[in-house]
Amino acid sequence: MMFQELVKTYAYKKGMPNERFTFVPHPITGQAASVCRKYLEGNDPITGKPVLQEIVEAITKPLTPEEKKMGFLARPVERLLKPDTPDNLQRFFTENGWTDGLPIVLPTEERVAEMLKGTSHKADEVVGTMQPSSPHEPWSYTVEKVAVNAVMAGAKPEYFPVILALASTGVPSLFTSTTSFARMVVVNGPISGQIKMNTGIGALGPFNQANATIGRAWTLMSKNLDGGGKIGQTYMGSQGNNLNYNNVCFAEREDRLPPGWKPFHVQKGFKPGESVVSVFTGWSLIRADTSLAQQLHVQMPFWLSGFTPYQGASLFLDPLIADQLIGEGFDTKEKLIQWLYDNTKTTAGDYWGNYFHIANFVLPNAKKGDEPFASWLKLPKDAPMPRFADLDRISIFVVGGETNLFWQAGDFRYIASASVDKWK
Amino acid sequence: MMEALSMDKRIKWPLIGLCLMGVFAVNLTVSAFAAEEAKITALNPLGQPPPIALVPMAPRLDTLDGKTIYIVDIGFTDTHQFLEEMQKLLAERYPKANWIVKNKIGTYFEDDPKLWAEIKAKGGAMIMAIGH
Repeated sequence: MMFQELVKTYAYKKGMPNERFTFVPHPITGQAASVCRKYLEGNDPITGKPVLQEIVEAITKPLTPEEKKMGFLARPVERLLKPDTPDNLQRFFTENGWTDGLPIVLPTEERVAEMLKGTSHKADEVVGTMQPSSPHEPWSYTVEKVAVNAVMAGAKPEYFPVILALASTGVPSLFTSTTSFARMVVVNGPISGQIKMNTGIGALGPFNQANATIGRAWTLMSKNLDGGGKIGQTYMGSQGNNLNYNNVCFAEREDRLPPGWKPFHVQKGFKPGESVVSVFTGWSLIRADTSLAQQLHVQMPFWLSGFTPYQGASLFLDPLIADQLIGEGFDTKEKLIQWLYDNTKTTAGDYWGNYFHIANFVLPNAKKGDEPFASWLKLPKDAPMPRFADLDRISIFVVGGETNLFWQAGDFRYIASASVDKWK
Repeated sequence: MMEALSMDKRIKWPLIGLCLMGVFAVNLTVSAFAAEEAKITALNPLGQPPPIALVPMAPRLDTLDGKTIYIVDIGFTDTHQFLEEMQKLLAERYPKANWIVKNKIGTYFEDDPKLWAEIKAKGGAMIMAIGH
């Protein structure tokens, strides 16, 4: 039943509003063949009709005039909403699913005009397109539309180039999957200091307007600029993910990077003086309760071994941890990444047998011959292998206020970076 | 004097009534004006969806007899088992049709033009399914 809306709206958007479909009880995954047979011999839980009869009718019953139609359906979007009181507008935005459930700053023309002062780009310039996931339709949006969502989030005009850069990646923070994805955004370069992002105590928490509203703006853009986040249609996360409220938005603490440790954006080829946003995909965060009685790096693979090998590992190191790792011989981030890649291992049996995403998204490509997966598929079950597919899957950030030697990590994998300077 | 007072009464009360009505009317106007003033205009936050190109449905079969029907597995976990049961049941009930289960290549996001070409060339119909 929960997929009926998704199927109908998806078929409609693909130009097949009258597509014929049949449902069986859910789930199929994990059921015995006898259960599958019983479902097929039974009735469609939505229509009540026998499943097999419905399937055969779908391919034999003659088409109706509606099903033969051709043509185009335009879907214009009005620029202004109907005037109303602020309270009614708040309710309207919430009831339409245009918010994150929290009150927003209403995007009046005055406020949007003020936000637009944060960029030299024209209001009607197209920033890009975004889609809730690749099968869904991409929507396009202008600088003004991004400004509307930035106002709603409570952002200041000086944050707007960062938000535009985020929008320009075309990566939504809300992804359709039933697995309840999270996203992460990291800011590097001079902009983080210019707009006073918090990189010290509480950097990953709710203590700063820039950190809070930039992350929130990404969620609102992902609901509104691409039709995403519509429960049952473009959002199917079975449990949802609390990280979606802010998308782990933070700035790397570049002033406390140890000598030899490059900022993340420099590792990706940008110049130190450039301001950049980088976006990541994953699901979760952990806090490593490491012992100070042993070397820190030795303990890290244990904490990372709980992450699915499908994504990656992003480590958030307090500056005191980074200083400690320098003492343990890791005078560059790259050396630590290589060591973690070499020493965070699994077995071939575990890799191919125990992960939903590996079975659905990596195994088919391994069978097609994609490397290194094709070679890993030939390994005996007890053969050790790297947990993460390549070095690019491991990212390291220095962030935090040096009140203690702690670090956190997330199963986040890098997707893309975008220039903030371009949008000033 | 009495006559003058009566005259005054005839004028006074209607005058008072008119004044009261005037005050009431002014209050209504002020309230209405205040309510109108309290409305604001907000911009629509939505991006622009593309136009939808309607796709006419493929013609249906007038009979299953002698036809080859493809049942396409898009590759989601455990779908194949479900579709094998579907194929068996359909073959039992409609034995004059040829029911074939085929795997689409790659993940369920990937296109498979070779398979679509085969189905167009050899098939009468296609059932695509996901066992979630």
